[in-house]
Amino acid sequence: MNFLRRLKPSSREGSLAIILLVAVGGTGLINPRFLTGDGTRDLLTSTSVVALLAIGIAPIVVMRHIDLSIASTVGLTAWLIADMSAKNPEFTWVQCFIVGPIIGMAVGVLNGLLVAGLRLPSLVVTLGTLYIVRGLVYVVSNSVDYNAQEMPPSLLDLGQKVFFGLLPFTFLLVIIAMLAVAFFMKYTKGGRDAYAIGSNPPAADLVGLKVFRRTFLAFVFSGFMAGLAGVFYLMRFAQVDSTAFYGQELAVVAAVVIGGVTIMGGSGTVVGAVIGALLVQTIQGGLAALGVDAFWKSAINGLLLIIAIYADRILAVRNEKQLLVQRIRERV
Amino acid sequence: MAKKGEPLLEMNKVAKRFGGAIALKGTDLKIRSGEIHALLGENGAGKSTMLKILAGVHVNDGGTIKLGGKDFITGSPQDSIAQGIAVIYQEPSLFLDLSLAENVFIGRQPKKGKIIDWKFAQTESARLFKELGVDLDPKRQARGLSIADQQVVEIAKALSMNANIILMDEPTAALSASEVERLMTVMKSLKAANKAVIFVSHRLDEVFAISDHITVMRDGATVSESEVGATNLQKVIKEMVGRELTELFPKTDHKIGEVVLEVNDLTNPAYFRNISFKVKKGEIVALAGLVGSGRSEVARAIFGVDKYESGSVKLNGKPLPAGSPIESMARKIALVPEDRRQQGLFMVAGVNRNISMESFAQLTDRGLINFKKEKSLTETWRDKLSIKFVNQTDPVDRLSGGNQQKTVLAKWLATNPDLLIIDEPTRGIDVATKAEVHRLVDQAAGEGKAILMISSELPEVLGMADRIIVMREGRQVAELSRAEATQEKVIAAATTGKRGA
Repeated sequence: MNFLRRLKPSSREGSLAIILLVAVGGTGLINPRFLTGDGTRDLLTSTSVVALLAIGIAPIVVMRHIDLSIASTVGLTAWLIADMSAKNPEFTWVQCFIVGPIIGMAVGVLNGLLVAGLRLPSLVVTLGTLYIVRGLVYVVSNSVDYNAQEMPPSLLDLGQKVFFGLLPFTFLLVIIAMLAVAFFMKYTKGGRDAYAIGSNPPAADLVGLKVFRRTFLAFVFSGFMAGLAGVFYLMRFAQVDSTAFYGQELAVVAAVVIGGVTIMGGSGTVVGAVIGALLVQTIQGGLAALGVDAFWKSAINGLLLIIAIYADRILAVRNEKQLLVQRIRERV
Repeated sequence: MAKKGEPLLEMNKVAKRFGGAIALKGTDLKIRSGEIHALLGENGAGKSTMLKILAGVHVNDGGTIKLGGKDFITGSPQDSIAQGIAVIYQEPSLFLDLSLAENVFIGRQPKKGKIIDWKFAQTESARLFKELGVDLDPKRQARGLSIADQQVVEIAKALSMNANIILMDEPTAALSASEVERLMTVMKSLKAANKAVIFVSHRLDEVFAISDHITVMRDGATVSESEVGATNLQKVIKEMVGRELTELFPKTDHKIGEVVLEVNDLTNPAYFRNISFKVKKGEIVALAGLVGSGRSEVARAIFGVDKYESGSVKLNGKPLPAGSPIESMARKIALVPEDRRQQGLFMVAGVNRNISMESFAQLTDRGLINFKKEKSLTETWRDKLSIKFVNQTDPVDRLSGGNQQKTVLAKWLATNPDLLIIDEPTRGIDVATKAEVHRLVDQAAGEGKAILMISSELPEVLGMADRIIVMREGRQVAELSRAEATQEKVIAAATTGKRGA
């Protein structure tokens, strides 16, 4: 228990959690089913993929970088695993969980070398790999789609597995990953260096932090998580084509930013990122319950994002004002 | 560790050149354990270069440096840290998102096994802060900390690294009086712990209040090294000044006309108070004083970039509204800012775009830009100011510092202003171009423009100005005519607030 308390999110995550609870409660008022075990299970299942990706890119965003290639990587791993399973009937969930992350890490290594090694801007590099990887999916898939009957039954069973009637297996893995990364980010040198690098990149060089190694490994980790998310994608949808998860990278970035990870680096936590992903999903569910047309979905997402950024801005302005007042007081 | 008073660091005939410019031409510095050593000199005397060599940012080209009897290894900041040298820059470079404890231990976090021992980091930082006599919460974020407190964090970091020599580059420049007092207490406790503190300062009263030894530098060489008891303020000032004025363009005399700018009781309590002066047609008035004394802030308030709380500004006899640069420009004021890269130019835009930026009305035909006019405007100013570039469309980023400065000047002169405010007109440009910029400013005055010049370079102030207003800590402390001004008087006013030396 003591261990859990020490992982206690700072106030930012606390207030996000409260907003999440209010959103869940509000949705529950409109649609009581939302509060049942089934409702919770649906919410958690549908959030798993985005939440996993959010955990993957949160450290990168903390380091003042970004990884836009993740959604394409999800598409690539999902399609390749489905393809391998279709051709090798002996494939079980175990192979899927090994092959997926390996494919993802390959993309991560490429991103990491370009960004950390050549010091190219990550926004442009990963925009490039976004197109390259998606192009690769189009080429290798050759318009072949896969459905549930071609996938390992053990994998699909695992995707259906639920603990205590409300915690899906996939979200259990999300929670484990979240706690592990949260621990890493808070209690290890690698994690703290990530915050320092994002907070003040020139100073990070000056105090001799291992900027290359940290940045490179962050991208490899993000690729690993994207590969795993590809497996999750299959478990959830049980079908895949070349456009799988197309264009969803920005939804992940949005969840991370709503979760309080500053796009300018240096602050935010993975716990926040996961809450951000849940919040986006809950509000979508709430709007659906209210009978709001699904077409509004993306507009509402955008609004949420801007509100989150604006909240940061208000805090920053208040801070500056306090500083000025302090300065005047000292001068008198 | 060396015993108190024993030599710790000896620099002999240390030299450093940057391209053609000689920054140090044989500097000696001798530091003993347990002393506070002040390094004095005007801007450009070579103090910063000295500090940067010790910090591992630059490598000296000549001379020897011995640290504790051994050869000092120069080359990287990490090497310097490993040899027990810590540097506290004027603007501390903390990680603002991280906690104070983390900043103290950045890159060297204490660990229990693989895991960072936050408890230890926090208690140890708290102990260090307490030792320094400052009550800071090690768990709080560095963002929002005053410069003074940020320095304390840097000093705590230096102590935690077991540094023997602590270098401070103008540590008091941005501090208030009470903060300075606190810093002095800290410096004394460092001295008591047998550390050596080397500090650069322009505030001579502080220097005499706290240091044990004083080294004065001028033009890249050591002029004197003495115990504080063996010298005095007048002597030190005399040693600091006396830089050659030959690099300057001789000012010509102009007819001085009626008042163009009249500033009355201008006050913005965070930066300056009760500033009043006039600038006349054809006159060059200099605002002198140390960096951080509020000079640039006064200029920004006049131009309208910043607001002020009370007081008034009149231009050509009519009140100028506060807080509106657009109105100021319409009323023919031009402001050449101190930082040309950040504030003066659009670095990636072409020379032509930059020069014509504020002269839109002269270039348009029925609301559209006539590029022939832009071209001829650029040519006109290239010839007038002899700006060197290959193509008009070359991004100003590619020009030398001097040509960049001329480009900013051209941009504003093209608007034909009545009042030209120019902040640090020759910072970071070579000697020949400096003289040219001086000639251009003088010429502008000759054309009847009123000129308000802010400068930290004393020879420039004395060489160019008809009148000198000296500021110290946000207040106007002296006004000197060209005839009565001497380097000694200006330095004395700027550093001690007293008139005359």
